[in-house]
Amino acid sequence: MTATATLPAVASRNRFFDALAPGGRRALFVLGIIAGCLLFAFPVLWLVLTSLRPGYAVYYVHRGTDFTLDNFHEVLSQEIVLHALWNSFAIATLATVLSLGVTVTSGYMLSRFRGPIPSLWFSAIYVFRCVPYVSWVLPLYFVTRALGIFDTYWGLLLPHVAVHICFFSWIMKGFFDGIDPSMEYAAMIDGCSRWGAFLRVALPAAIPGLTALAILCWLYTWNEFLFALILTAQKTPILTVVMAQFVHELGMEWHLMSATAVLSLGPALIVTIFGQKYVIRGLKI
Amino acid sequence: MAEVTLSNVRKTYPGGVTAVQDFNLHIADHEFVVLVGPSGCGKSTTLRMVAGLEDISGGTIAIGDRIVNGLQPKDRDIAMVFQNYALYQHMSVYDNLAFGLRNRRVKETAIDAAVRGAARVLSIEPLLDRRPRQLSGGQQQRVALGRCIVRNPKVFLFDEPLSNLDAQLRAQMRLELKELRQRVPTTSVFVTHDQVEAMTLGDRIVVMKEGLVQQVGSPLNLFRQPINRFVASFIGSPAMNFIDMAVAAEADKFHLSTDGLAIELPQSRFAGLGPQLGRSVTLGVRPQHLRLGSARNGEQVAFSGNLMVSEQLGDEQLLAVRIGRGDIRVSGVDPELALATGARVDLVVPIDSLHVFDGSSGAAIR
Repeated sequence: MTATATLPAVASRNRFFDALAPGGRRALFVLGIIAGCLLFAFPVLWLVLTSLRPGYAVYYVHRGTDFTLDNFHEVLSQEIVLHALWNSFAIATLATVLSLGVTVTSGYMLSRFRGPIPSLWFSAIYVFRCVPYVSWVLPLYFVTRALGIFDTYWGLLLPHVAVHICFFSWIMKGFFDGIDPSMEYAAMIDGCSRWGAFLRVALPAAIPGLTALAILCWLYTWNEFLFALILTAQKTPILTVVMAQFVHELGMEWHLMSATAVLSLGPALIVTIFGQKYVIRGLKI
Repeated sequence: MAEVTLSNVRKTYPGGVTAVQDFNLHIADHEFVVLVGPSGCGKSTTLRMVAGLEDISGGTIAIGDRIVNGLQPKDRDIAMVFQNYALYQHMSVYDNLAFGLRNRRVKETAIDAAVRGAARVLSIEPLLDRRPRQLSGGQQQRVALGRCIVRNPKVFLFDEPLSNLDAQLRAQMRLELKELRQRVPTTSVFVTHDQVEAMTLGDRIVVMKEGLVQQVGSPLNLFRQPINRFVASFIGSPAMNFIDMAVAAEADKFHLSTDGLAIELPQSRFAGLGPQLGRSVTLGVRPQHLRLGSARNGEQVAFSGNLMVSEQLGDEQLLAVRIGRGDIRVSGVDPELALATGARVDLVVPIDSLHVFDGSSGAAIR
């Protein structure tokens, strides 16, 4: 922010700020922040509004005053929505537990060990990360069909876990890189095996990072659409897909879709509010 | 009974880099041995091989009468202090101290007694409930020491434990370590790159360079009779002065000469110079042995040169005197003495405290 005579462009910009009254700069800053917040909050706000309007009024959300909770009632009376809510929750939770189990050990291996196996693993992850996410879907469809796990928990869980392992092993490696290995050496001298040193010393030290990853992982799976769309059908409905099915040949039921979307926001919001402290702390490591 | 014996120990990393070769050392029970050398000399690798944190590529390491080559660190009955303390961040100080004993399934009452005993010895009793993060560097290092002594191991290993402390605290911890040695006598191996730590703490010092042991001896022995130029330059502060000179013989004396400097040494004292005639040797003079004045008898050698810089330390002055083309350092000069830059300075040094090294190999010639 220091203006120097040799930089006319910077100087003139600062002159603009200097011309504002003492409180002006602050006011401008606050306005900017508010604008930014509105930009992000507006779609959510509109969604909530739409979900509270009767079906005939969704195209005039900004007009009229009739609000109703009927949409929620109607959506929750559909068995498929309840089923999908449960499925989404179960899949997100299971995927988080399974993928973190693998990610922690894989990240630890990448951080602490050298040799052919870690480098092969590292290259594999790297290659999979470079391939566009979308291009996996079709092959996965055939694979799950061939294995007979199409439209089951496993059929959706395993692809998710695979993606998470590729994406989060690197982050986990970063967490472990930040933890001094001499702590584990000390533990090994203090009577732990190599595995014990990992479990009792390195793992507890990585808990903040692990919590952050767990939250990101859960939210990611909960919000995921593409895999759910292609790899599931009637037997295992998933919330994001069910939501999209309110668009059909007879038109779009925006009010019902919005109500379902608001329902799906709930758990995600709870996780985010309770987890943001850990996410921030974890990502700071 | 915990002697440590290293026989022909070698460490070669995959890729062919040899970190340590042909390391032989016998450490007596309750002896405090310091491994010292510049970074990359293999001292830490040697220590880590004793600890079991590095595989041994060749040779054997024995602790007591047991060869430990294939043993896990936890089965070697050793304790180690790390440079960055390596305290378990998620545990209290008490749990840090108790960790090793709990792993060995010692009864809680015995653990409590051991932890409190160690805390008393190290004056860290008020810190037992704190987390390592809440402690200062010196306190953390005391906890790390405590973690070692509660276990009552056969051998203590120290990997540059004082390097992360500031100069003042380092001097204090050095004293505390010496005191601790008297209270808890245990066979110890201490690694450092600081020759002052090596000199003050060690019963014996092992000087290493590029994976090879250069010399093993008591601090005084290393200071007085360095085996080569490297050891001579590494031990002692300020470091020894080196002057490259040509050798000639005349009657019962050797003549050593270079630009602006010529000295005579009696052949009887430096018999080893005989085969060096016509070759180049390096004269080594410790700054502490040089005195202002001119030669009075045959037991001393005189130098003279011009004063380039003087440094006032309060209790002494350090001088840099230009002799020929090089500067030599003089320490222990009277702080009250006023010397003008550029003035002629006469120096004397006892013949007995001169060192001569082979010009190419650097080996001491006596």
